[in-house]
Amino acid sequence: MSKKKTSAAVNMGLPKSKTSLIANIKKFWPYYLMVMPGVLFFLLFKYIPLLGSVIAFQDFSVFKGISDSPWVGLKHFKALISYPDFRRIFANTLILGLCKTVLIFPIPVFLSLMLNEVKNLKLKKTIQTAVYIPYFLSWVIVGGLIFDIFGMGGLFNNIRGFFGLDSILIMQKESWFRPIYVLSSIWKDAGWGTVVYLAAISGIDPALYESAAIDGASRFSRIKYITFPLLIPTILTLFLLSIGSFLELGFEQVFNLLTPMTYSVGDIFDTYVYRVGIQQAQYSFTTAVGLFQSTIGLILVLSFNKLANKFSDDGGLW
Amino acid sequence: MKRNKTMALVLAGVMAASALAGCGSKGVTAETSKAGTSGKTEESSAAGEKTVDLEVWYTNTGFLEVKKDGPLYNFYKDMFGVGIVSPYVEWNGGTTYQEQLNLKIAAGEAPDMFMPVNGMEADLVKNGALLDLTDLLPEKAPHLWETVPKEVWDVIRSYDPSGQGRIYMIPSVFDYPLMSAIIRQDWLDKLNLSMPETQEDFLNVLRAFKTQDPNGNGLADEIPTGGRQEARWMDYLFAMYGISMWEGFPQWDIYNGELTYSAVTPNMKDALLFIRDLYKEGLIDPETLLNDKAGWEGKINSDKVGIYYHWAQATYEYATSLESATGVRAEWAVMPPISAPGYEGFYTEKKIKGIQWVLKNTDDQEKIDAAMKVLDAYGNKDLWQKFFLGVEGEHSKMVDGKLMKLPEDKKTMENLVLQPGKDISTIDSITQLLESVKTDETAWSIDQSIANVQKMPNYGKLIAGDGMPNSVYEGYADIMNRTLYVEYASKIITGEYPIEKFDEFVQKWNASGGEAVTKAAREWYEKTQK
Amino acid sequence: MTESIKDKAFQGAITFILCILGIIALIPLLTVIARSFSSKAAADMNIINLWPVGFTLASWKYILSDPGLWKAFFISLSTTIIGTVLALAVTSLMAYPLSKSNFKLGQILMLYVIMTMIFKAPVVPYFLTVKGMGLFNNPLVLILPHILSAYNLAIMRTFFKQFPAEVEEAAMIDGCGYFQMLYKIVIPSSKAVLTTVGLFYAVTMWNQFQHPIMFIQKTGLFPLQLKIRQLINGGSDFANIAAVANVNYTESTLSAATVVFAIIPIIAIYPWLQKYFAKGAMLGSVKG
Repeated sequence: MSKKKTSAAVNMGLPKSKTSLIANIKKFWPYYLMVMPGVLFFLLFKYIPLLGSVIAFQDFSVFKGISDSPWVGLKHFKALISYPDFRRIFANTLILGLCKTVLIFPIPVFLSLMLNEVKNLKLKKTIQTAVYIPYFLSWVIVGGLIFDIFGMGGLFNNIRGFFGLDSILIMQKESWFRPIYVLSSIWKDAGWGTVVYLAAISGIDPALYESAAIDGASRFSRIKYITFPLLIPTILTLFLLSIGSFLELGFEQVFNLLTPMTYSVGDIFDTYVYRVGIQQAQYSFTTAVGLFQSTIGLILVLSFNKLANKFSDDGGLW
Repeated sequence: MKRNKTMALVLAGVMAASALAGCGSKGVTAETSKAGTSGKTEESSAAGEKTVDLEVWYTNTGFLEVKKDGPLYNFYKDMFGVGIVSPYVEWNGGTTYQEQLNLKIAAGEAPDMFMPVNGMEADLVKNGALLDLTDLLPEKAPHLWETVPKEVWDVIRSYDPSGQGRIYMIPSVFDYPLMSAIIRQDWLDKLNLSMPETQEDFLNVLRAFKTQDPNGNGLADEIPTGGRQEARWMDYLFAMYGISMWEGFPQWDIYNGELTYSAVTPNMKDALLFIRDLYKEGLIDPETLLNDKAGWEGKINSDKVGIYYHWAQATYEYATSLESATGVRAEWAVMPPISAPGYEGFYTEKKIKGIQWVLKNTDDQEKIDAAMKVLDAYGNKDLWQKFFLGVEGEHSKMVDGKLMKLPEDKKTMENLVLQPGKDISTIDSITQLLESVKTDETAWSIDQSIANVQKMPNYGKLIAGDGMPNSVYEGYADIMNRTLYVEYASKIITGEYPIEKFDEFVQKWNASGGEAVTKAAREWYEKTQK
Repeated sequence: MTESIKDKAFQGAITFILCILGIIALIPLLTVIARSFSSKAAADMNIINLWPVGFTLASWKYILSDPGLWKAFFISLSTTIIGTVLALAVTSLMAYPLSKSNFKLGQILMLYVIMTMIFKAPVVPYFLTVKGMGLFNNPLVLILPHILSAYNLAIMRTFFKQFPAEVEEAAMIDGCGYFQMLYKIVIPSSKAVLTTVGLFYAVTMWNQFQHPIMFIQKTGLFPLQLKIRQLINGGSDFANIAAVANVNYTESTLSAATVVFAIIPIIAIYPWLQKYFAKGAMLGSVKG
């Protein structure tokens, strides 16, 4: 966000003078009315509580409240950065975040393109329902299941045994943590992610496909040249929405897959904060880490939004 | 200029929030008072007497809340003349409970009497949030004052941050060692082995369990021993090396003449080496470090495990589950502690299990008197059985003229918040409790437990770190969490780290706060020695 | 339109892969269902996989006969339905102007909204604020905090942006006002996005547990997810002297049954919503 008022105004395409705004309100006053409930909602439920983030700069105590807790400036941020394993949790969070963006994010797109190709409507409905069910089960359940599958008597080792291989406990092995994280994420959440894309695909005029078919385009070409390009606005929107929480990987998932033997690759901000912050009721520290994660998320959203705007007109969120 | 503006904005917002919170909480308190769930003087029924209600928070693993004028409320009222109300607060291992408690405190609505968790009592005392009990207890709750031993009260006095030795907390007290290694006596008998006494015996027993098919099913599926993730619940293996441990958490004890964290002693290095070798030889469950409670207990209940580590008095639960699952009547017996060569083994004993109750600081004399009545009854041994059995028809029922405790049913039972027999136990009180759940069908297993618990006093050693407050860890949350220990111990046991890494662990531990915490711990210990 | 062999093969291969993926995706649910129908012995021995062991209806009987569960069910159902309708109204109301390039405040407001997704309030101030609005132990707390989601707002806005401008221009020439435009023209043709966003809201409200944990203490007002958590709650190592129960269920089988119970409505609803995702649900052509 630029600091100068004028360049900010230019960047956001706002008029330099206020008279245009008033004119806009006069002409389009219903719009202004329409957004009021929403604006109020965000103010009440998001922005006012957000002011409480100041506790990140205090030694907040529930007894003293915000008004009486002492101010400590950047103490908690310094504590976070000077934590001996800070680099490790930062690196782990970054790497898993990248996995999420690069490996996991595209899957629902492909899945929905594939689902769109199923001819039999009943089969399509069934598969769609099946793939989105795991989303509703908690990570406690799915995590436990994964431990069972890869446990001593589990499917994985049974297959190994079938091929004459020894049993191994991969959940104890660092090198397996990230692949398991990625695959389990896809298993659990990819199906649900297809909902938006399928809705978008349904909005594509069938006439486009018909004319392409008449021109001799194969199904694959139709996907490549019609469906996919038309999905791009949606993909961009969802991408921008998810990049803001780049460093927030979903505590539940990592927590339920983590073991002390995989801390070195799996311990992330959220699990660290859980041990140190939440369990000790260190509200200030927890908030400080949250602010840290959010700030990085903000920088990412702003940067990618700019890129998105360059890539396609109106591609960005603002 | 801009900074002032922003500051003003922030302050305005904060004030707005506090104002909202302010009128909100008053409004809500009025609401809840109407519903009668917060402590307020209430009129009772025909008696015309005023019953004071106290809001009590305690662990609730899914039972019904204790509502005003409900069966349990009336039960308690009849017992000691005070109304006890307890809302349902999710426990979730203590995490949700703790957060809910903190939120209530932040809103100015702390319960009157509650069980603190995760060392929160240290903060509470510092902020003057707790009632000073020092003079009140001997005068108004003499039963409790007498039941808890003087040494324990002295330790509680040491928790007073002002150093004046005031008492602010009620401890949970045990006067016998709780946990030990539990072994399949019937397997020993079947294989003609005697109870192991040396480490050599022990290894032979483990190997025999593994290879000689004591469960008799023709499969080599026996798991000689094991534990759970984070290297917990196999404390006895560490105990062979003189390491004090509680449910897998290393404790503080005297090593080389000084109070030291057991995880960073040379004893620990040897213990880890031993366990690593057991792991390599396949004598402990290969999934030990991945087992959760259900996983490990699943194996025990499947008639596969030879030795586990848990509460001596709870063997009947394992025995009955085993029987109902496989039809086998196991004989679970306490295995006396074994000493590794050059060390002295023991089972860790702590008199103070934790802080059981604290009272909200208040000037309301009626509330204070009511709370004292509750505490007095709580400490009265003659009433313990009554507390345990709860409401007749709900928690217990008459069987052949004797009142017997009913099995737990979370759909119908209110949470029994006052269970002194459980929180302040002696061998006798526990035996009594066990007797009152003994039915003809379960007599065989309950008798085992009674025998087991009666053996325990022989095997315990009271550790120096008994009663150490969590405040010594202040500022070093990760030391309190023993994250470093868990990581290194797990990796050494599985063989991923060579044993030499142990020295690296000790170094890191000291550097990341262990040294500072040790200093604080030793200071505390000095204080209590006087 | 005849399909070429290449195309048929392409479709067939994709369908086949999807079937496999579908089966794999069903595994977690199958294990939970299996557990809910398994015996205490099986649960104690931890030997349940994809199929019930020691088949029994004990767990189901126990939970279905709990009036508290049904009450929680109806609370969840009613607040979800009311909440979703409310949410769709408020969200579309706000998304529509935001999708218009001639709305001057559009960009700032988007930033205003997205920021709330990135920065989240700490729990204590949030608790105090919402409590201060009088929402403690108030069933409205199951609805109000969820009636607008920045995520859903952004999605709806993207969809509205793609609504054909010609249609709106034509309507305007016919004298249609802005509110009318939204409710009479745009919304009826936006079934796909409304269904999607409606589904998202419904699922959020149905699954919610963080708000109820914080703000609902009266057990009589518990929504379904809290009831489920009430059953999963034990599993701790307390030295509890309890009488041995002669029942054929354990905590894990009961919680499995409740989880399945809570999922059934969600499984049932999607196929029913499929018709709103029919191809060509939007009038006119999409800007290509």
